[in-house]
Amino acid sequence: METYDPSLLIWFLLVLHASVCVVLASGGRRLGRRSLWVAAVPMALTAAWSATRLGSNDAVAAGFEWVPGLDLAFEFRVDALAALLSLLVSGIGALVCVYAVGYFSPTAASMGRFSATLLAFSTAMVGLVWADSVWTLFIFWELTSVTSFLLVGFKHTDPVARTAARRALVITAAGGLSLLAGFVLFVDAAGTATLTDVAPVTGASANAAAILILVAAATKSAQFPFHVWLPGAMAAPTPVSAYLHSATMVKAGVILVAVIAPAFQDTDVWKPLGLSFGLVTMVWGAIGALRHVDAKLVLAWGTVSQLGLLIALLAIGTPKATFAAISVLVAHAIFKAALFMVVGEVDVRTGTRNINQLSGLRRSMPITFAVALISGASMAGIPPLLGFPTKEAAIEASLALTGAEFWIVGGLIIGGSVLTVAYTTRLLIGMFAKSAPMPGRDVGALRSAMTAPEVVLAAATVLGFVALGWVTGVVRAAVVTIAPKAEVYSLFRWPGLTDAFVTSMVIVALGLVSGTLLARRVVEHGPAARGARNVDWTIDGVGRLARLVAARVQHGSLPLYLATTVLVVCIAAVPFVVEIDTDSLYWWDNGAEAVLVLMIVAAAVAATRVSSRLGAALVLGAVGFSVSGLFVAYGAPDLVLTQLLVETVVVVGFVVGLGKLATRFPPATRLWSAGRVILSVAMGSAVAVALAGSAARPVGDAPVAELAETAQTEGGGKNVVNVILTDTRALDTLGEITVLAVVAVGILTLRTRRGRRGRSTEEVVPS
Amino acid sequence: MISRTSPITSLAVRAVTPIALVVAAYVLFAGHNQPGGGFAAGLMLGAIVVLRTIAGMQQPSGATTWLAVGGAIAGVVAIAPMFWGEPLLDQVVVSWDVPLLGTVKTGSALLFDLGVVAIVVGLVLALLDGLDASSLVDRRSGPSASTPDGVDS
Repeated sequence: METYDPSLLIWFLLVLHASVCVVLASGGRRLGRRSLWVAAVPMALTAAWSATRLGSNDAVAAGFEWVPGLDLAFEFRVDALAALLSLLVSGIGALVCVYAVGYFSPTAASMGRFSATLLAFSTAMVGLVWADSVWTLFIFWELTSVTSFLLVGFKHTDPVARTAARRALVITAAGGLSLLAGFVLFVDAAGTATLTDVAPVTGASANAAAILILVAAATKSAQFPFHVWLPGAMAAPTPVSAYLHSATMVKAGVILVAVIAPAFQDTDVWKPLGLSFGLVTMVWGAIGALRHVDAKLVLAWGTVSQLGLLIALLAIGTPKATFAAISVLVAHAIFKAALFMVVGEVDVRTGTRNINQLSGLRRSMPITFAVALISGASMAGIPPLLGFPTKEAAIEASLALTGAEFWIVGGLIIGGSVLTVAYTTRLLIGMFAKSAPMPGRDVGALRSAMTAPEVVLAAATVLGFVALGWVTGVVRAAVVTIAPKAEVYSLFRWPGLTDAFVTSMVIVALGLVSGTLLARRVVEHGPAARGARNVDWTIDGVGRLARLVAARVQHGSLPLYLATTVLVVCIAAVPFVVEIDTDSLYWWDNGAEAVLVLMIVAAAVAATRVSSRLGAALVLGAVGFSVSGLFVAYGAPDLVLTQLLVETVVVVGFVVGLGKLATRFPPATRLWSAGRVILSVAMGSAVAVALAGSAARPVGDAPVAELAETAQTEGGGKNVVNVILTDTRALDTLGEITVLAVVAVGILTLRTRRGRRGRSTEEVVPS
Repeated sequence: MISRTSPITSLAVRAVTPIALVVAAYVLFAGHNQPGGGFAAGLMLGAIVVLRTIAGMQQPSGATTWLAVGGAIAGVVAIAPMFWGEPLLDQVVVSWDVPLLGTVKTGSALLFDLGVVAIVVGLVLALLDGLDASSLVDRRSGPSASTPDGVDS
């Protein structure tokens, strides 16, 4: 029935994202806040298409190989899970764009940059959830780190934001390296880079890969002890926090664990390490959320805790737990984004996020209060909201465990859930209940662009419960792609008086009571971010150490640099001494070589004796021209041509450069001259030894005929050298011209800096 | 040593320029079947630039443009085959029947070589710029050129 190729849509959407990004980055300045609307369009389209793919059994795939020799390919595959995740990513993304229109003031600067980066992040995230090859996933994974860095540091004049952005980047980029190493080991063990083909792997390298990939997921998804970057990332504008640091990016690690878990199920380390990360994080995050007074930090720590729950559920590895994990992921994305939006709105309209200073907002901000109440109750797992059945599924999965696992895992998950209810209650009471006066604080006017997305998300939380059958179908279809046995599980509106239901009601009751009690206790200020400070100290320390080492190594003395180089070359030449085969050496092929070599030697000796700089340059040129004569004798016209031209340009360049220097060399002491003679002789001998040694190696017949053949057939040219340069080994040439370009840019940079320094001194010196 | 005022230098450079340009073009096109190619042609052009600079006939500016254009050409030629499902840097050979010249066979490699030429020229320009070649010429060409405006003592 379909008249279009759905795989084209994947490309279309990705290219649309990317091109709108470019347009916004270059022309967004003029659009101001309207650029956010533009950024929302590709996200909304992606969300709409993802919605049509929800729950479908057939996947849409697209991809192309870009280096077949290395088995490198871009592969995308949109199955039920990918569609569900991209609906969350793009749908919440579009809502966040709308929300940001209200969040920023009409005169806010750099809106083009903001919306372009936000869209770039969204692109990276969509690519990540659609990726079907570990390499594709890795590329988009790193892109999310970079865009997150840019968004956290959006207010780049604020040192706090800059430090936070750097911290986030260093931790997540370190995780990226770990991921790369893990993927290399994994692909080696599994024999495939395609995620849908994963089969269980075992063995030492699989264990190592499991650890590396789990650590990577832990850095991205803020698992203890890597969680320290996430609270700091709250320095970002609230739309960014709502989008990246609650709903989407921090889920990347969870998604990675989910899709790759089937491969590592049988390894020894996967489950214990995953459970340790998850459970410790869940409890520590919840405790953190109870200690803070900044509402945004409370939510950030709450997110850390929830991510811990997700990782723990996935690490359990039973189909039931995996099903619960994906359900919780969906519910969490919706209510946490809404809660962040609420906090952002409170911040904008009252000027503070401190729950000590806020109170009684339920009257002055009724709609916001309703959204907060619905989303908070969903987070606490109270019916009739989407958070309730998903939390039930999680508790049921942990109660289904046996033996020690039941007591440890089940106990911690239940304990963590009590704390979750407690910090939610404390937050809501702190902000909306109480009715202490708020001195000097007026509640600003309603901003509909902020309220509307909140209401949409709150409605989704309610409707998700109403249409739970549909939600179950969608989630189940998604989970089946990673855990086929999960097809028997469902989410229930009313599960009956099961153990899990009783347990969860006890959890809610305990949480409500303790939360209410804790809300009364006044905490002056939150705990110091000790972990984050340690990370910053480490980063600064590495920077200082680097400067120290660089100051020693890069001393700036040219003779010493040269001496170091010569020394290294000499050491490298030593192994060749034993390889020299005196029988294979002979004096010359024909007389012309002898004459040319004599010319070279004569010119080289002359170069050391000449006292004028210009003379030395010209004699050096003579050496070069004589060498090109040698190439003539060997019959290598391409080399001759290039050598002649290079020599010409170099000699003329010398002449130009010498114009700045004195015409004669400065007088040298005897010791100085002796040192230079030793260095020169050592360098010459080292190269001679290396050449003589390698000449003795058997190389077989040169593949001249073959090369000439392929040059004609594939390169379409008779000059073998040039065909090699531009066709058969064109990648090398591309590398070489890249080096040339980098050198040129380096020279220009030095020149510019010198020019600037010159100008500044001119300004300082009074005339 | 070298000066804009020397009629011999400037006349010689002026005379040599067009010849060298033709030779550079020849070297570029010949490269496929005979000695030559992008590096050689680029160096040839670079040599002209150096000569013209030290003769005071031009400023060594625009290095960035040459580098950017060269990089763009080489990059596009490198990536373009991938849009047709071919591997990176795969080259296309075409032959035309051109009046006077007969059948001319060429390919995307020639375009790639053009990129190489531009980058080599850019590098030479950057070197000249880095060596401050133009100020050298200015200083020697006359006393008035080195005095900035409005700094009369």
